[in-house]
Amino acid sequence: MSSLLHAVTANRLEDGAVVFWSRTGWAEDFPDAELFEASEPAAAVLDAARAQTTDLVDPYVIDVRLEGEHPVPTSYRERVRALGPTIHPELGKQARGGPVVAAIQKAAGAARSSGRLSLIRRK
Amino acid sequence: MGVYQYDLIDADMLRDRAEAFRDQVSRRLSGALTEDQFKPLRLMNGLYLQLHAYMLRVAIPYGSLNSAQLNRLAAISRRFDKGYGHFTTRTNIQFHWIRLKDAPDILDALAEVGLHAIQTSGNCIRNTTTDPYAGAAADEADDPRVWCEAIRQWSTFHPEFTYLPRKFKIAVTASAQDRTAARVHDIGLKLRRDAHGALGFEVMVGGGLGRTPYIGKTIRDHLPAHRLLSYLTAILRVYNRLGRRDNIYKARIKVLVASLGAETFAELVESEWRSLDGEMLDLPDVELARIRGAFAAEAFEPRPLRSEIFEGAKRSDPAFARFARRNVLAHKKPGYAIVNVPLKAPGAPPGDCSADQMEVVADLARRYSMDDVRVTHAQNLVLPHVKLDDLPLVFARLQAEGLATPNLDLVSDIIACPGLDYCALANTRAIPIAQQIAERFADPEMAERVGELKIKISGCINACGHHHVGHIGILGVDKKGEEFYQISLGGSGAEDAALGSILGPALSASRVVEAVDALVDAYLAVRRPAERFLDTYRRLGPDPFKEAVYADADQA
Repeated sequence: MSSLLHAVTANRLEDGAVVFWSRTGWAEDFPDAELFEASEPAAAVLDAARAQTTDLVDPYVIDVRLEGEHPVPTSYRERVRALGPTIHPELGKQARGGPVVAAIQKAAGAARSSGRLSLIRRK
Repeated sequence: MGVYQYDLIDADMLRDRAEAFRDQVSRRLSGALTEDQFKPLRLMNGLYLQLHAYMLRVAIPYGSLNSAQLNRLAAISRRFDKGYGHFTTRTNIQFHWIRLKDAPDILDALAEVGLHAIQTSGNCIRNTTTDPYAGAAADEADDPRVWCEAIRQWSTFHPEFTYLPRKFKIAVTASAQDRTAARVHDIGLKLRRDAHGALGFEVMVGGGLGRTPYIGKTIRDHLPAHRLLSYLTAILRVYNRLGRRDNIYKARIKVLVASLGAETFAELVESEWRSLDGEMLDLPDVELARIRGAFAAEAFEPRPLRSEIFEGAKRSDPAFARFARRNVLAHKKPGYAIVNVPLKAPGAPPGDCSADQMEVVADLARRYSMDDVRVTHAQNLVLPHVKLDDLPLVFARLQAEGLATPNLDLVSDIIACPGLDYCALANTRAIPIAQQIAERFADPEMAERVGELKIKISGCINACGHHHVGHIGILGVDKKGEEFYQISLGGSGAEDAALGSILGPALSASRVVEAVDALVDAYLAVRRPAERFLDTYRRLGPDPFKEAVYADADQA
């Protein structure tokens, strides 16, 4: 178990797809997400994301840990967002496979997601 | 026939609505509308943003569809989603993989067959639900669809009741057996005839689930049926005036009724009602007769009570005999039957229906059920008017599509919300727990031996899976960052409505199936003849069940 990392996620406005900030822009796949060791650069990306109002909805920062060499969202909710519904492994991003997807699927333990908390706060 | 046919005003309204939403979506995508401005507009068209994509909730007014509509839903699921839909406890259908840019085209496609997503979200009067056997049940006091259609016309875009303190749900039942969960609705209406044969409604108010569940209270035993709309207006006005808008968790009418007391609330309603101009608000007899005519046109043929084809098939095919015993119910007309089509094959997500399955059910409805399909609040479908002679054919087609599981109201006929697999608000998953339980009890003989046992699962306290009224209710909770499940027993959403009581500490996900197994074993060990699980629980209380689940306390 390593120290906590951070990533920035949102839903894409035009289709609702889950996206992650990567070094080259917004990417659909969690394995492409840029990981931040400190919270300040993640907050800066978040601020920029909030300004992209015609591209993104509800950006927020998620916590990530390393499982071996692979990044994995710490919260169960964020793992489901990164993969797709657990009841349909053939649907969503998990269908593309790969080592990071496998690491996320194996990950155990759930933590409260900042995404859900902010959603409830906004209601 | 099949469903109430919309007139030109309805058709124009749906087209206008779709056109308006196309403009709103376009302005959102261009940036002319902010998300905060757009969100209430998309919600008024049933469009939510969930975990993986947008979710579109399509209204199925009082759970009634014809084959053209069901075929259209199948086509939408193929073209705009991933080839399936999810029928909900409000008898609507949800598509979970929708793109915002496609939503206007979908509304257009729905409008062409008289469907829409109006009043499937927001703080308005939501889709009214009713008995899925309406027009087919022998014991109904009147056809509840007539009144549901009247409520639909009255409530759609009602200017006074579009921004209520909170959402508002109405159910109408007309039979002794309540298949609508009327007592846990904001308003439950039970049609019945008094000693003189006059038609009226028992009016129940203030029921509901969610984080503060209540069983509705009767505020009027017999409201003359023709006064329905003015009385509903009076209730809604009192609620609109006094319901709390300062706290979302206390905004439902159930909290108002509980805080005032049912008697005081009833007095306020009666007083408001007396002040209203009933003649202006109540449905004119001629309009009621017009609506009634639309449902009375079902042309049943005179047929013998007994069908040799049906009886012969039961003798020769044990699987058909079991299906007939479990899922086929008596019809009001001789020679016809009500066929329950479960969306609960072992291992399948409850309520999910593939496009292929929708098309098969639509075809069967067109050929064999007067073009009529119903959706139940238990997330199943119904072919309400099938000739006994046609049952073997219908069964064979259903069986080939995995739609003939003989488990109506049995342990594997589970209600489950979408849960954390899709829902942005969920704490835990609900569907995998339902799948595991259904697989454990997949043996139809075992399920039938256990008898009626209604399990209902919610992935969070919002209780979309109706766990409070499950004979066994299962609520997913986030416990120290892990998925845990709290079990409650003794609930019922039927005519013997009751809220379940929590059995004990929440269990880890891996222990839920064994706990249900233990509860069933405990019941089988002590039940009396003809006693359902619920009856045994009510007779003995929680102790034998608590012992069964928590005997080994260190596992809890």
